[in-house]
Amino acid sequence: MILKKNIMMMGALLLAFTSAPALAAVEIGQMAPEIETVDVNGEAFKLSDHKGKTIVLEWTNHQCPFVVKHYGTGNMQATQKEALALGDVEWISIVSSADGKQGNVTPEEANAILSEAGAAPSAKILDASGAIGNAYGALTTPHMFVINAEGTLVYAGAIDDNSSPNPKTVEGATNYVLAALADVKAGNAVAIPQTQPYGCSVKY
Amino acid sequence: LCVVHHLGGLILRFLAFFLSLFIVLGASAPVKAEGELVKIRLLPERSAVVAGDEIWVGIEKSIAPHWHTYWKNAGDSGTPLRVTWDLPDGFEFGEVQWPAPKKIPYEPLLNYGYEGSVVLLQRLTVPDDLPAGALNFTADIEVLVCKEECIPEYGTYEFALNVPNAMAEDNSAYLDMAAIKVPRVVDWDVGFAQEDEQFVLRFPQGELLDLNTNRIEFYPLDWGVVLNPAASVSSYEDGWLVLRQPAGDLTLDGLDAVRGTLVYEIEGVREAVSFTAAPESVGAGESVLEVQGDAVVPSSLGFVGAVFFALVGGLILNLMPCVFPVLSLKALSLVKISEEHPEVARVHGIAYTLGVVLSFVAIAAALMTLKVAGAEIGWGFQLQNPFIVGLLAYLFLILGLNLAGVFEIRNPFGNVGGVLARNKGPAGSFFTGILATLVAAPCTAPFMAGAIGFALVQPVYVGLIVFAALGLGLALPYLVLSFVPALQRVMPRPGAWMDVFKQLLAFPMFGAAVWLVWILGVQVGASAMGGLLVGAVLLSFAIWVLQHVPKAGVLRRLVMVLAVLSLIAAVWFIPKNVRMADSPALFGAYEDGKFGEVFSQERLEDVLVGDAPVFVEMTAAWCITCKVNHAVAINVNSTKALFAQRGVVYLIGDWTNEDPVITRYLEKYGRNGVPLYVYYGDRDAQTGERPEPIVMPQILTPAVVRDYVDVK
Repeated sequence: MILKKNIMMMGALLLAFTSAPALAAVEIGQMAPEIETVDVNGEAFKLSDHKGKTIVLEWTNHQCPFVVKHYGTGNMQATQKEALALGDVEWISIVSSADGKQGNVTPEEANAILSEAGAAPSAKILDASGAIGNAYGALTTPHMFVINAEGTLVYAGAIDDNSSPNPKTVEGATNYVLAALADVKAGNAVAIPQTQPYGCSVKY
Repeated sequence: LCVVHHLGGLILRFLAFFLSLFIVLGASAPVKAEGELVKIRLLPERSAVVAGDEIWVGIEKSIAPHWHTYWKNAGDSGTPLRVTWDLPDGFEFGEVQWPAPKKIPYEPLLNYGYEGSVVLLQRLTVPDDLPAGALNFTADIEVLVCKEECIPEYGTYEFALNVPNAMAEDNSAYLDMAAIKVPRVVDWDVGFAQEDEQFVLRFPQGELLDLNTNRIEFYPLDWGVVLNPAASVSSYEDGWLVLRQPAGDLTLDGLDAVRGTLVYEIEGVREAVSFTAAPESVGAGESVLEVQGDAVVPSSLGFVGAVFFALVGGLILNLMPCVFPVLSLKALSLVKISEEHPEVARVHGIAYTLGVVLSFVAIAAALMTLKVAGAEIGWGFQLQNPFIVGLLAYLFLILGLNLAGVFEIRNPFGNVGGVLARNKGPAGSFFTGILATLVAAPCTAPFMAGAIGFALVQPVYVGLIVFAALGLGLALPYLVLSFVPALQRVMPRPGAWMDVFKQLLAFPMFGAAVWLVWILGVQVGASAMGGLLVGAVLLSFAIWVLQHVPKAGVLRRLVMVLAVLSLIAAVWFIPKNVRMADSPALFGAYEDGKFGEVFSQERLEDVLVGDAPVFVEMTAAWCITCKVNHAVAINVNSTKALFAQRGVVYLIGDWTNEDPVITRYLEKYGRNGVPLYVYYGDRDAQTGERPEPIVMPQILTPAVVRDYVDVK
């Protein structure tokens, strides 16, 4: 029986080494992984071309209740507006839902969703292959990242500190993204550089 | 009349039972439930309370098939249930008690949560100034339920206590069941550390001795300490249960505690504990060597405690089904002797005790030696070897046949089992002692696990004392019996009834044999097990033949030859090697001989004179860790390519059998066991020097190998 245990342990070890997680983990303080793609309007987007700007990455899926919480209450749009108003900030919305999965949309649908919600990101990117999501280790919708002007990742995690899907909880929550952007703008280190993202799983 | 009355009682009881079912089912209906996928009920422990009471209130979730909800730490996505109570004045709820979750993968993510039915518990404190009349409790509950997509469900639920004239409601049995599933809070000295991208937890072995390491699951309460989807690997190392899982996004520096739940199986039952781990003082860089040195292991059980528990455990061993028959008959025979010669009885008692204690110490010494050698073993390691398992199965078969009265054998010690019934001198008693240890070895008794766990992490002499105490405990009843005539008088008189009793006791022996055959089947498969059973028939046949040997002549010789051949065949039928049908790749790894060359001191010295880097692997067939490392980290294409590219000379030393050259090599690197991996960097072109050889970690991955070999 001990032997059997050992066989199982071997299995576990094998499993541990072969099924290494597909998601890369990005580290705060490291260079953000390059993004080179085409946005929903057919325009080329290369992250490294945007050095000098602070970049906010937002993983989204319009059918996810947590995304609905933040768009339905106007919280995400407000955050976006406030971020862009800081100047030298760009907001990139990314959809990593795979073909046939929840949230997967055509470029036309993506634009329709934006205009219906009254959102105006600098660019919206469809990542059905999950390549960008994997490179950033995006887990949830929403999952937020802030990259500074040097291209260094300075924030990764939740949009705010209330992980409920209930729209009523938007009010009174602390917005981590705006806090990080304020720190960046003031030239300070980001006080809360990493939080647990919450939301629906990204539909890879 | 009496019968009718009795029947009536039964029917009433049934009715009460069904009624109680309905009461539970009929508890609190939701006032307003939007939720369709998660049905929620609030279940107070009982419907009537008095001032100062504390009762459990259960939040029962019945989740639709294929959907799941979340634990306190939801994992990569999701969010736990939230409850907001509206309570009568003065009432207070404690924190939500979450049952142990399970891992719910959604590639490439992983969540911690629940499927099916689950009950969360909260402790409700009733104030001292309890108002009269009905009390209403309302809960706003939001719960996120996901399959692939997620749906938040919101509902308001209520229950009432002390409702006048209401039927009494008692959910306590149901909530007790739920409480069992909530992890037990333990105060073990658990340490955490980060080593080579791995988050490492070290648990004192204590209660965790001899677990199925593949069934151990870790659920971090804190986010980011591990990569949730990555599998964890548990193993026993230097007296610790060590769990490794690739580290998560959180930096552990400055973190003063990591909380989590450990789930494991004890005899098929899922157990869960919730613990708080403190950072280990060992720096991440040094840990590789430091931890694998002679670690000083604290244990919650002191030396005196361990000896005491060992003694008690040994005593209880006497009652184990395989040991009891041997000893009870032995005890009866002792009574017979002492009637005639009390001093002879004492000699027998001492001889028997010596037999037991020495056998225990011998097994313990073997166990410790192997353990030091890196084998993944615990108490009962003898059973790792199918040949020994087979022999033990035969032993129990022979004992059973003997007790059943099929045969009696004369031998230098008297009668084998028989020593059970008759006695021929102290040697016979000594032999019974060995026999008792042999039959006791597969058994474990309460109190033993803790003592053995302690013994195995102590210096050898301390460990041996603990094992000797275990043996003494086993021998104690018999020893006492042999010294105290008053006790002997209490024993039943030997008589004809003993024969019947003896035959009865054959059956536990056969049972033990069946158990051992089953173990062997698990180890080596059904066909090998079939072979053993054929062997058992041959063995029985040989024994029967020996009972019917003609007095003289050619026929006598023929029959003897037949018996001996049957015996030989019986032993031959015991599988000798562990054949891992499931993983031939691992065990064929060394046989191909295409990758790497055989280690010898001369060859090593030769290659060290050259400039090329050298990688030395010390391994053994019985070392599972070695095999796994070889299969997953060394004998893989990436490492082969790396070695080829860097021109690494790869030497393999096999320590399966005693090999003083390898033992000396191990000692040179402060080890007395395998696996050992040493990397000698290539000679520096400018200085002409080789860097100091580096001892690599004992758990390898291709990445770890690359880290060491790729450095310039």
